[in-house]
Amino acid sequence: MKDIKEISTRLEIAKKKTEADQNKNEGTNAASFSKALKISTELVAAVVVGSTIGFILDTWFDTKPLLIICFFFIGVAAGILSVFKAAKRMQKNNKN
Amino acid sequence: MGLNPMHQFEVYKIGPEINLGGVNLSFTNSSLFMSISSMLILLLLFFGTKKKSLVPTKIQLITEMSYTFVAKMISDTAGSSAKAFFPFIFTLFMFVLFCNMIGMLPYSFTVTSHIIVTFVLATIVFVGVTIIGFIKHGIKYLELFVPKGVPIVLLPLIVVIEIISYLSRPISLSVRLFANMMAGHTMLKVFGGFVISLGLLGGWLPLGFSVALTGLEILVAFLQAYVFAILTCIYLNDALNLHH
Repeated sequence: MKDIKEISTRLEIAKKKTEADQNKNEGTNAASFSKALKISTELVAAVVVGSTIGFILDTWFDTKPLLIICFFFIGVAAGILSVFKAAKRMQKNNKN
Repeated sequence: MGLNPMHQFEVYKIGPEINLGGVNLSFTNSSLFMSISSMLILLLLFFGTKKKSLVPTKIQLITEMSYTFVAKMISDTAGSSAKAFFPFIFTLFMFVLFCNMIGMLPYSFTVTSHIIVTFVLATIVFVGVTIIGFIKHGIKYLELFVPKGVPIVLLPLIVVIEIISYLSRPISLSVRLFANMMAGHTMLKVFGGFVISLGLLGGWLPLGFSVALTGLEILVAFLQAYVFAILTCIYLNDALNLHH
């Protein structure tokens, strides 16, 4: 039983050490890199989806260039909105 | 053929052609590498949990670390109510991670470099999360598209923008993974081709680049699996706890 106790205290110490290391490493290159990848595609995807919806509606209602232009800009707005949301989420996480 | 950087993404069938009702269900190299990834995950988890020793062996350590990594990710981003979805997110994370990592081996095939694979994964997440949201909140789930404190005049526009932003989720999820994997592997192959074509005299510089890019690609392979899983958690969080 003594062995188990000793191991558990050693584990406890090791865990604390790695946690401290992890806290130090927050905001390192890898984490920022993943955030950059995340946000850049979000912006593009919304524009693509918006334009596609505009294109489909255009062929339905036969209003060829009108709706695709409208929905392109709505898509841009949606992209900016999702980037904004993601940035807000990051800010919240950093504060905690 | 040897120098064509896109040749590595070719899907070809292995064995006989299987046709079921006009749908081509042949076993391809893509299915082969998906099966290999799944088998490796099963083997890792089987051997990792077989002998539960107090001082873990290497393989047990890897298993336990991947468990705590995913469990911590879920509790950090989606809260305790998402604990029930641990098996799904763990499976998703491990599958994407193993597909990406196996793609890094020479002569292998990267399953996730095909948009149809990543798009199906993202669609499963998207449809699943939407269904969960409707089960949990009923028709009130549509409040997700109506942010608080918006003037009535602007509401129709905002709702359309929110819906497009919601619909763009599976696209961004799938395109991100697919584009990163395909671009990375194409770049590796291009630099590898430079080594061959520049020969013994000039080939050393692209060789160095290839080595550096391989390191970067391994990082990207891990990060993409991580991003895929963490975004699933975030979407799940939106569906489970309806406030933003």
